[in-house]
Amino acid sequence: MMMNTAMQKQGFDISQLVDDLKPVRPLRTGKAVVVAVAITLALVASIIGLIGLRADVAAGLPDPMFLIRTGVLGLLGLATGHSVLSMATPSVGKHNLGWHWALGAALLFPAAGLILLTLGAEHQAFSMAKYGAECLRWSAAGALVTAIPMVYWLRQGAPTSPERAGWLTGLASGGLGAFAFNFHCTFNDIIYIGFWYGLAVAGCAVAGRLIVPSLIRW
Amino acid sequence: MKANEASLRALMIRSQSGDKQAYSVLLSEAGNWLRRFFSYKIPADAVDDLVQDTLISVHRKLSSYDSSRAFLPWLAAIARYRWVDRLRQTYKHEASALDFDVAQEGHEDVVGARISIDRLLNYLPDGQADVIRMVKIEGLSVTEASEKSGQTESLVKVNIHRGLKKLAALIESE
Repeated sequence: MMMNTAMQKQGFDISQLVDDLKPVRPLRTGKAVVVAVAITLALVASIIGLIGLRADVAAGLPDPMFLIRTGVLGLLGLATGHSVLSMATPSVGKHNLGWHWALGAALLFPAAGLILLTLGAEHQAFSMAKYGAECLRWSAAGALVTAIPMVYWLRQGAPTSPERAGWLTGLASGGLGAFAFNFHCTFNDIIYIGFWYGLAVAGCAVAGRLIVPSLIRW
Repeated sequence: MKANEASLRALMIRSQSGDKQAYSVLLSEAGNWLRRFFSYKIPADAVDDLVQDTLISVHRKLSSYDSSRAFLPWLAAIARYRWVDRLRQTYKHEASALDFDVAQEGHEDVVGARISIDRLLNYLPDGQADVIRMVKIEGLSVTEASEKSGQTESLVKVNIHRGLKKLAALIESE
């Protein structure tokens, strides 16, 4: 093969890279998603084992609000988590916008809570701060458990926007952590959910933005 | 002969399985492709360094290529990341003009147009793209760019800062 002058100048570096070549296993987003789902299910099982399952769910008669909350948080975690994991395998023209819709749906809780609060609706959000703090603690702990493998995956890959990867890792892990704690949480008040769950997920997103980019290596 | 998407993809798949011969060819061909990709998008004296940086990133991130997808959009994503990273570095280069002796070739095909750096710059407002081209690509000083663009010096700095931040977020955009 004919090499031009510039490539000859590069030749030494290329041969070094070639010498250093080791077989690699290509990253597959699908496999990573399966692992993330398995970790989340294990997290749910752990939280139920440690602090217990909601009584209505245990009785087989879940409150509709619990079902909606579970679905929204699960979707938020899954859609955002999928976007995070696929960021490890970059490609121009790849669109991962599913998380926009999931986040939009999740924002309905704080938005509805704010509207009701403004209208003077009765609620337990602030009088039950002790339980709200528990929500924050457990959601954050759960987020940490799910964020670690995501960050590991990102470090293996090549996320072209470390800052966005940080936001999304925080959102995804916060969503999954809150999803897991939600199986224990007995509150169905939308203002309570909007405030405390919103705070937990938003806090994780900010933490992700602050911490994750520095952990990503190129 | 210019390597195409299919041949580069085949070389990459063999490289991921540890085939050093295929990898050597891949890196050479990718280097040639990158040289065309970066030409006129960075001062000519910086192209070699940028190509090398990109190849090193390719080497480090070899496993991030998903063989079920096209190869060039992956390479372009890595290249754009390295290019934006280079533009963001605060460096002063001495070259003030582009090397117009370099033959312009390459990315006129449909795939190339979608993944090119020009495409990325087109996402920016004219005021931002213009001063980035002037200062970071053509090598003008902020003062010169200010005179040429009609923007104040502080606006030139703000537009460069904002434009580079936007570019960093748009790397995978088509």
